[in-house]
Amino acid sequence: MVLLSAPRWLRSRLTDRFWRVQEVLKYARHFRGRKNRCYKLAVRSVRRAFVKSTKARREKKRFLRALWITRIEAASLEHGLKYPAFISNLLKSQVELNRKMIADLAIYEPKTFKSLAALAQRRRQEGFLAALGDGKEPEGVFSRIVHHC
Amino acid sequence: VAKTSLTSPPWPEVQLPDPAEEAKYHAEVVQKVNKMIATGQYGRLFAVVHFASKQWKITSEDLIMMDNVLEAECGDRIRMEKVLLVGADDFTLIGRPLLGKDLVRVEATVIEKTESWPKINMRFRKRHNYQRKKIIVNPQTVLRINTIDIFPCLS
Repeated sequence: MVLLSAPRWLRSRLTDRFWRVQEVLKYARHFRGRKNRCYKLAVRSVRRAFVKSTKARREKKRFLRALWITRIEAASLEHGLKYPAFISNLLKSQVELNRKMIADLAIYEPKTFKSLAALAQRRRQEGFLAALGDGKEPEGVFSRIVHHC
Repeated sequence: VAKTSLTSPPWPEVQLPDPAEEAKYHAEVVQKVNKMIATGQYGRLFAVVHFASKQWKITSEDLIMMDNVLEAECGDRIRMEKVLLVGADDFTLIGRPLLGKDLVRVEATVIEKTESWPKINMRFRKRHNYQRKKIIVNPQTVLRINTIDIFPCLS
């Protein structure tokens, strides 16, 4: 005789509810208040914690870059240069250190940072002189400027 | 004619040093640094290396962990070629952008290849019954920097 449907006294009951609950509570153990003990509150807090950590991983990159820029600005002001001047002149001199490296050098290798600042300053002055030109009038222009000898 | 506020430009006038004298001074400095490197009068060297799309500031006996896979077995010696900067206590060699391969040699050994701790990626939209949870495990490689060598071939 083949029974096609199971009789009513055979029920499938959940046996590992404890471990399913522990899986969630283990991430909530260091929380404050009842959400570190009660499952219903913990589920919501743990979910929010995971979502916040995923978003924070993307913002950490922005935050760290701003921190490096602040540090480089402070260090270059100690040597008499502003941050935009420093970075742009360093890039024009084909030095491709990124901001993380320059910030680390400014903290741990002050002499190296000083030489980088001097390099940027020199490139800046050369740029100004190249832009100003000879100081002569353009050809074919007559003007009444008096030149001091 | 009297000098007014507009006779000279408001920025300070800057004179660059004489190019011939400067070239002489540069040659002297290069000679001195070459001699220092040849005689070995430097202490600990540090280098800035571009590796695995990141820049690292390394010295000898340093540990580095990369968040990706390296196609080398554990115990292989590796030479890092893209060196941006090398420095010691008294001098630094800045590459524009890279230093020559005949000038610097950075050697490293692969120590271990593991996986990162399981990072949890979760997306959730409230009131719409939408949540997705993904566990991301990145392969990692640990390298130990053995030596940084410089050779006196400056010109």
